[in-house]
Formats: sequence, C-alpha cells, structure tokens
Amino acid sequence: MQPAPRYRADWENVMRDRQRSLARIAVTGIALACVADVASAQFPERAIEFIIPFDAGGGADIEGRLLAEQMSRALGVPVVPINRPGAGGAVAYTYVKNAEPDGYTVSWNSNSLLTMSNLGNVEFGYEAMDHIGRVEFQPMVVAVAANARWADLGALLDECAAAPNTLRISNSGTGSATHLGALALASAAGCEAVHLPAGTRRRNATILSGEADAMVAPLTGALNLVKARRFRVLATLSPERNAVIADAPTATELGYDVDFDLFRGLSVPSGTPAAVKTALADAMTQAAQSEPFMKLAGEVGFTVAPMPAAAFEALMQTEDTKVRAIIESANLLSSGTR
Amino acid sequence: MGDFLMAGFSQATAPSSLIATAIGSILGIVVGMIPGMTISTGIIIVLPLTFVLDPGISIALLLGLYVGGMLGGSFAAIMLNIPGTPSAAATAVDGHPLVERGEAGRALGVAVIASFIGGLFSCLCLLLIAPRLADVALGFRAPDLFSLVLLGLTVICSFAAKSWIKGLLAAAIGLAIVTVGQDPVMGTARFTFGSTDLMSGVNFLTALIGLFAIPQLIGNLASTETGTRVLRTTARFGRVLPKLSDLRRMRVPVAIGSVVGTFLGVLPGAGGPIAAFLSYDYAQKATKNPPEPFGSGAIEGIAAPESANNAVTGGALVPMMTLGIPGDPVTAILVGALLVHGLAPGPLLFIERPDFAYGVIVSFFWANIFNLLIALAGLRLLIKLIALPRTILMPAIAILCVVGAYSLRNSVFDIYVMLFFGVLGLAMRWLDMPVVPLLLALVLGGQLEEHMRVALTGSQGDYSVFFTSPFSAVFLSLAAISVVWSVISSRRTAGGAP
Repeated sequence: MQPAPRYRADWENVMRDRQRSLARIAVTGIALACVADVASAQFPERAIEFIIPFDAGGGADIEGRLLAEQMSRALGVPVVPINRPGAGGAVAYTYVKNAEPDGYTVSWNSNSLLTMSNLGNVEFGYEAMDHIGRVEFQPMVVAVAANARWADLGALLDECAAAPNTLRISNSGTGSATHLGALALASAAGCEAVHLPAGTRRRNATILSGEADAMVAPLTGALNLVKARRFRVLATLSPERNAVIADAPTATELGYDVDFDLFRGLSVPSGTPAAVKTALADAMTQAAQSEPFMKLAGEVGFTVAPMPAAAFEALMQTEDTKVRAIIESANLLSSGTR
Repeated sequence: MGDFLMAGFSQATAPSSLIATAIGSILGIVVGMIPGMTISTGIIIVLPLTFVLDPGISIALLLGLYVGGMLGGSFAAIMLNIPGTPSAAATAVDGHPLVERGEAGRALGVAVIASFIGGLFSCLCLLLIAPRLADVALGFRAPDLFSLVLLGLTVICSFAAKSWIKGLLAAAIGLAIVTVGQDPVMGTARFTFGSTDLMSGVNFLTALIGLFAIPQLIGNLASTETGTRVLRTTARFGRVLPKLSDLRRMRVPVAIGSVVGTFLGVLPGAGGPIAAFLSYDYAQKATKNPPEPFGSGAIEGIAAPESANNAVTGGALVPMMTLGIPGDPVTAILVGALLVHGLAPGPLLFIERPDFAYGVIVSFFWANIFNLLIALAGLRLLIKLIALPRTILMPAIAILCVVGAYSLRNSVFDIYVMLFFGVLGLAMRWLDMPVVPLLLALVLGGQLEEHMRVALTGSQGDYSVFFTSPFSAVFLSLAAISVVWSVISSRRTAGGAP
C-alpha cells in the first residue's frame, strides 16, 4: 500500500515507531532466548540428528525411522533419521560418542553397542555414552525347518550333546547377538555345535536348504517364514513367553538357563544436560506408545516397553556382563584393544 | 502363484508406481539418446531418489529407465549414427541409411516396435523361469553359491573384454578393493589404517558413480558439439507407424533377436552389445533376398538387434531376482536399490515377499508398455532433446555425482572415494581395461568370500565340499570352461587379425 503524499511524514513517523518497537521486541526476545538457553528449557530449538547404526531397510532402520518421525511430533522439531552403517555399529556409535553433548545428536542403539565394544572393535564401552532409555525389546528364537526331525528343543540339544561338532546352528554373523545366543544355549546344554556365520541375508536360507540344522534369529527376522509354515520355533531365549508366539516355550522353562533379549533404545553423548535428557526421554516414551509405532510392533513382532534411563543402564550393565562372559569363554575377542 | 501375481499386479499397477515407470521411461529414453550419456548416467540421476521412495516405486522408476535407456540409445544410433549406448551400435548400421533417405520415421518406428516385442518376450520368460529357478536355488548351499558367484565373475570377465587378461585383471582389482573394511564373517578390520570411514568398506554404488560418470564427463570435455550439427538432416521424418509389409518383414528377425537377447541376458556380463551383433548376424543369414541389402537400410537389420537389446533386460532380471547375481551395472543398481529397502534379491524373496517379487516382474511388464506408448506418442518431441546443450547437462551431472555419493551413507568421505574411482576409471579407460568386471567384482566379492568361509566353517576346513556337491561341481566346471573358451577365442582373434 502506497500512502498519499501529504501523509508521508506521518507515515514515516509511524514506521519509525514501529521499527523501534520491533527492535525492542527483538532485543527482549534475544535476551529471553539467552536465559532460556542457559536453562535449556527451550530444548529443542533445531533439528535433531537421529543416527541409525545400520543400513537403510533393516529392522533397526524401519523401526528407528518411525520412532524418529513420532518423536519429531512430540518435540516439534524435525528428528532426522541418518544411517551411518558399518562395522557392526562401531561407525555410528563412535560418531555419536564424539558429538557435542547438547542433545542434538541421538543414537538409536541395540545389543550391538555391547557386542561391538566387547569384541574389541572400538576402544570404549557402553558406559562412554549417556542413555535415554529403552524403547522396545524382542526375543531371539531357536528355529528349525517345519519338517525337521526334532520335536522340541530338548531333542535338538540332546542330539547335539550326543554327537559333538556335527549339529549346525546358523546365526547372523560371528560375534552378533544371535551367535552369542547360540553359544550360550550350547554351553547351557553342555554341547559343542558348529556355528555357521551365515549373515542376516543368508541365515534363513540355510535352514531351507538344509545346510544348517537350526538357527538363532531375532523373532522379527524369522516371523515371516514361521507364518508361511516353513519354520518351526522350538523355543525363545527370553525369560518369559512372548505374546507374538505364545505357544513357543522359553529355554529357561525347558531347563536351559539362557536369558538374552534384544533391546533397542536411545543414547546420547556423555555429558548431555539432565534437562535435555528428560525432554528426550519424554518424547521417546510418547513416540514409543504412539499408535503407528504400536501398530508396527504388532506387525513385525517386537514388544514396545519403554524403560527409563536408570533401569535401562542397569539392564545394559547386566547384559554387558553376559556378553563379555560369552565372548571370553568362546575366545572371540579380536586382536583389538579393550 | 496366481494369488501372488495378483498381489504383485496391484502393487505395480498403483498410480504412483505407474507414474514412476513413465517418468523412468522418459528419462531413460532421453539419457540413452544423448551421446555421451548412458543408462548408468540416468541411474546416477535417480539414485538419491531411490533411497527415499517406497521400494516398489523406486524399482518401477529404475525398470522404466532400464527399458527406456535401451531404446533411447537406438534413437541416437539411428538419427546421428552415434550409438547412445553400446548396445545400440548394431542398430546404427541399417538405421542411419534410412534417415539419410528421409525415412527416419520408418526406422524409428521399426525400432520401437521391435524393442517392445523383444522386451515383452523376455518379460514372459522372466515370469515363467524366475519362480522355478528360485525354487531350485533354494536348495543351494554355501559351496554351491560360492561356485555360482565364481562362475558369474568368470563369465563376466570373458565377455566384457577383448583381452581376457585385462578382464581378469579388472576383476582382481575389484576383489582386492572388497577386502578393505570389516571382514564379513569375523568383523575384523582389514586395510583400514585406523580409519573409521574405511571400516565400512567401499560401497559399490559409490564406486559405480565414479567409474562410470567421471570418465564420461571428462571425455565430454573434449567434444561438446556433436549433437546439434546432424539434427538438421532430420527435416524429413516420414510416417512412424510401420507399414504392414514392414511388420511382415520384421517377424523372423524379431523372433531371432528376442530369443538370442533373452538367453544372453541371463548370462551375467554378456549383455546388450553382444546380443545385438549376434542377432544381427543371425538375421542376415536367415533373410533371403532382402529388398534393401543389409548395411544400407534393411528393416531386418534394425529389427533384430533392437528386439535383442531390449530382450536382454528381461533376461538379466532372471539371475538378479532369483540368485541375487547382477549381470550388468543396471541390474547391480537394482540389487542395491532393493537392499536399501531390506529386500535382498534371491530365492527367499519369492517366499518371504512373493507380492514384491512378482510386483517387480509386473513393473517390468508396464515399463515395456509405457516405453512403447511414450516412444510412439512423443517421438518427434523426444528426438529434439538429442540436441540438449551439454554445457548445461554435464555440470548438472557432475553435481549429481557428488550428491549421489554423499547421500548413500551421509558421508563426505564417500565423495572422495567416488573421486578416487573416477581417477581409476580414467586410468582404466586409458589402459583399455573394461570397468564392468571391476564393478561386478565389487558387488559380488563380498558374497564370494562370505560363501566360501561359511562353506569352510560348515565343512570344518575341508575344501573338498566344493567338488563333492553336485551343483558346485557343475558351476566350477562351467567356470573353468568359460575361462578356457575366452583364452582360446582371444588367441584366435589375435591370430586372425592382421
């Protein structure tokens, strides 16, 4: 709008006043923002990097992306999922450990944090980071081909004990949680098995081709083929039965003392302010219990069970001890550093 | 199978998938057509997109590009006598003389129809062969898979290079590069020199961008004006839809091309150029008294190689889908695009996600249909794009190379890796070494090692498993035959040529 000439002087005054008041507002705003920044009450003010330690497309990625999306709704800023795959999670965890401890770099974690550090792939342990909390967990399952000759876990492990080093159990990779699960199971049964490091892509196929007799896999990795009636689950390695496959007994129930669940949760660099961690934890819980995330859980078979930081750290400590014990007894430590 | 085919059909026929197919097809025709750009360039353009799109949609896009690129290459071959892609070289022989006689439309029309039939035939073969082959492949164990991958690599080497030593050398370089990073079984770091970036190894997509795009860009610096000058001769276009008499003459050559193309497509590494020239040769022998002699505008000489190079696409999807073994850069990218979405191509895909596996086949069918429609409807318009100023195109592609390399893993380090492979690609071009064996060694090398080590873990270190398993024994002997055959044939050509 262009004012008429004779009002121009007035108009300019109005403008000058307006500019002044704008300037005042701005100054106050900046001052407030500074105070707020000190108190961290304003977290978050910008986008948060959500680091996924695995390739796009895997379970960690699909679940992580959805959680990030839901957290972004809770926090009101973009939570941007970024894949930094490689080295069993070491690439991502190293990146997050070394990031600014301001809450703007968050790592989606899993048992890989414990396995990669205990294998000696990095020089730090899980304690080198702060943890926000657990989001979900899922059991590992012992599965065989649908037409396999073993009626139950006992039959399988008895055969393993009777003929050492003949039964083949495939896993997702040497040193992975599935391998450690199989090692723990074999040692609980007092038997020696051949562990095939088939990898996540080939693991299921080794059962169908008959190359492996059994496998240990995350429930979500085996569920499709269980539903397609190609696989039979003999047991879970969980302390309690899982609602997704309620008829599968737990190994503990059957007398084998193995209890090794897969968790996923969030970690941040060590030294992140407490208020920031609380804000992240609230958003995490809210996102975990959101309808889309619960729906995904139902579809692929994990259990949403948010756990606060203190309990999560205690859980990690127990799991870390287990992981280290298995790795040491199986002599898996790489020539590394820790 | 019927149910899954229907599920796949509805997935691949969703509007978003169809739009992606159409865009892919147009893009493919354009990049295939512009000399100095290939299907690989087109793929580099859409690569960053495929990470964010739904897997069904990215596959539709890539398949459209694959099929369109094969046809686009022939447009340039016919119009300019410069094959847009190597597969189109045979088409130029008879296609361009027709353009000089003012029958450009006729030549292009025959090429479009022949491509369509070749593509459709290979699609049918894919649908019939793939699920059955996947069933057989389910029985493959680690030793069999090791030998199969080895066979794939030897076949690639023997086809890809004039000199088999250079082919093998390129593959060996690729295999050596694969060893960088964490070992696939134990996770031990190898040749990483303490760098976390190197821990994750070299991603073959990063390498592909460098190997294919950078030498092309540099090569284009030398010649920036090929396109515009020749296009003026195309003032007379003539009718596009082939006459009935032409269609009748196409029957035999198209049948030959479709069969030869599909068969050679299945063999890894053989690919378009060989299929095109071989079927051209067969068609020449099968045609008695052509109205125009071969080499001066024979319809048969366009129809045979055109149907062959498009039939290669469906053939190449067979080992890619059922065994996870890609035969050329495009199918290697398709493997990568599927892996990005957690859908590992291989026999299990047909059991775990049959809807998706069949969806890929249906998408391929649609890609052929769209290719026909787009080519026929937009021919005159598309042809004009041959003259797109490359002073604008090339910098844009250079930027996309950097973006593509970065977006793969959100890593600046990967940009340097891409540039390293660009220099390597230039050096190899200078040494007349083929880059395809290197690329496929990067794709297959990890699998080769993994299968071998799992096999040896299973046999507790006994190497005889590779010979006692029947599948493995057959694959190994075929691999030996392919090496011997390429040694003999390269001797013969070396002896025969003056």
